[in-house]
Amino acid sequence: MRELELYYGPQHLGMVGNFSITLGVEGDRIVKATSNPGFLHRGFEKLMEQRTWIQNFPLVCRINVVEPDHMELMYAMAVEKLAGIEVPERAQYIRSIYLELARVGSHLFGLWAYANMLGFDTVANWAMYHRDLVLDLFEELTGGRAYHIYIWPGGVRRDFPEGFKDKIVNTLHTIGSCVPDYDDTFFNNRVFEKRAKGIGKLTQKEAVDMGAVGQVLRATGMKRDIRKQEPYAAYDQVEFNVPTREDGDAYSRIWVVRDEMIESVHMIFKLLDQMPEGVAYNKVPNPFKWKIPKNEAYVRCESSRGELGLYLVSNDTDKPYRAHYRTPSFNHGLTILEKALVNESVSDVGNIMISLYITAPEIDR
Amino acid sequence: MDRNKIGKWLKSPGKMAQKYSLHALYFCTGCGIIEIPPTITARWDAERFGVIPVATPRQANLFLITGYVSLKTLKYIIRSYEQMPEPKFTVGFGSCPINGGMYWDSYNTIKHLDKYIPIDGWIAGCMPRPEAVFVAVTHLWTLIDKGKADGYKKYREDYELYRENQESVLGKLEWPPLFSKEKQHEASV
Amino acid sequence: MNHLRQILKDNLLSSFEDIKINIAEENRIIIECRKESIITVLSHLKSDGFNHLSLISCVDWINENTFELVYILTAYTEDPEKGGLNLLVKTKVVRDKPTLYTVINVFSNAEPFERELHELYGIHFSGHPRLTPLLLERSYEIPPFRKDFDTRQYVEDFFKQIPTIEEKKRTNERT
Repeated sequence: MRELELYYGPQHLGMVGNFSITLGVEGDRIVKATSNPGFLHRGFEKLMEQRTWIQNFPLVCRINVVEPDHMELMYAMAVEKLAGIEVPERAQYIRSIYLELARVGSHLFGLWAYANMLGFDTVANWAMYHRDLVLDLFEELTGGRAYHIYIWPGGVRRDFPEGFKDKIVNTLHTIGSCVPDYDDTFFNNRVFEKRAKGIGKLTQKEAVDMGAVGQVLRATGMKRDIRKQEPYAAYDQVEFNVPTREDGDAYSRIWVVRDEMIESVHMIFKLLDQMPEGVAYNKVPNPFKWKIPKNEAYVRCESSRGELGLYLVSNDTDKPYRAHYRTPSFNHGLTILEKALVNESVSDVGNIMISLYITAPEIDR
Repeated sequence: MDRNKIGKWLKSPGKMAQKYSLHALYFCTGCGIIEIPPTITARWDAERFGVIPVATPRQANLFLITGYVSLKTLKYIIRSYEQMPEPKFTVGFGSCPINGGMYWDSYNTIKHLDKYIPIDGWIAGCMPRPEAVFVAVTHLWTLIDKGKADGYKKYREDYELYRENQESVLGKLEWPPLFSKEKQHEASV
Repeated sequence: MNHLRQILKDNLLSSFEDIKINIAEENRIIIECRKESIITVLSHLKSDGFNHLSLISCVDWINENTFELVYILTAYTEDPEKGGLNLLVKTKVVRDKPTLYTVINVFSNAEPFERELHELYGIHFSGHPRLTPLLLERSYEIPPFRKDFDTRQYVEDFFKQIPTIEEKKRTNERT
């Protein structure tokens, strides 16, 4: 059989985000796959060196477009470590609630993309509607639907408005009461099982060798979550489980995503009960004259895609000297995708790509 | 159907059919892709305005350039735009195609998209709300009625000037020119 | 945690000469070594349980004329004490035509990190199978992330010189 070259390119109905894969195909089987990133490269880290410490905040949240909140958290935590600023306790609780709501919204977006890829349009419409309800909460709290610049070094920008707790509880009850419908229509459906079981399989040894993190790793059986290993914000005050599965294929990854969403909703209820009173932020120095002495910091957190890290270096000026984000999609999209696509059918490329949760702007930055 | 529209339908049925069925090309160009799924799903339904996403440029009418454009993406935007059949309309979505936006000092993004392909309208914002897309679509309808949405005609007339600008940014282009002077002369004769 | 860090420090100091260890904070340990012994230090740490290469980064100290490469390692384990440690292995290279050996034989997921650093800083990794461009479309005289590349001047010289279509038509009409 002859080997043909196909471009699963940027303008394609099966591609979410601006990313391209070059496939070497023999009949219907893929023989070789090469990823081409770089369509969204803006030189973020160079731009961050030319803006002051506070001017970087509107820039940093635009690295990952689906879930900008963990990027802001990383930058704020790194600046607090470099400058030695303390965060009050109420602000830690507010940060945890805000991040868990962002996680629910991001997982619903991933569910929209995956259900659309397999042809379940009804479930895709439900998921996008529920994500819009969560974005309504963000709009009331911060003023913006897609980019909310809310986490600040020293706490958060403003406290919860009046009646906001009841709104969170109502929204989560609306979403939670639809979980049996989701289960009947999508998660327990035999068509989903036939299309996703055994596709894109990774053993635990392969995942560890190729640098997998997040739910790609948790679907192979290892219970690794940065919220338990290096706790930040208020995660050491609340109990939660880390769901895992055994098989390591696309079916297990989507089931891990569903279990994580339900854990996040329970966590938000517990945090709302335990939240103490107090101030929501500590003051920072004058942003026009703020210089940080020579130091470096490396912080990590668990975003909805996996382990996110930031390496920040300061050199006694009012701008960062070097910032480097370690994003989870970098290894997933460039090392693991090329290996997981070999010997699969061409109609499963979108299936595997979205179950690995690759977001193109995170690779290019 | 409105009674005062029957006159318009009888006068120019082609224009009315074009307006109310703008098929948008599915190309996730940049950041702005985060506000397109809410626009086309059930809450802010775009199909009641006649706008649905289609798979290939050969079937598309409307090109929404959502967000900033990097150098690599510009090549693919030009190829997709040249494959679309006429009449076609482009709308720049977000502040970045207008003047560079947030990334005005980046070495890899295009600052003024108007120099490389013709654009009929802009939507400002970072990100614009889904309702802004509908305001843009209704404004495009009035432009089509008056005959002012003629970006594609300008592309046909000034093709050498556009191609010079494209080559000064991307280097020598691999595909031959879309319009050449001899063919245009034949078409008008 | 103290116990674990002390064992690690004694182990490394006894196996290698010419190495400096600094326990900066509770969970961050900085190890400095020369560029020739990077591969042996990384293999030693990998066999000790730190088998996840998180990041390879590079800092451009233009005043001292060196590049400083940083390899950040963590552990794939369910144990929270060992899993919370971050090891930063640093080495310095000369800024003029820098070369290094690749660490792909130790950590196979280092391939895209080294490709990106080659493109953005100009560092050559000998032994790498595929040092082709990853993110950039055109070639630049100075690699773009170095400190002597001024992006605002580049935007001024390259993008602002291109005239709009109306300006071109006006100049054509005049001539």
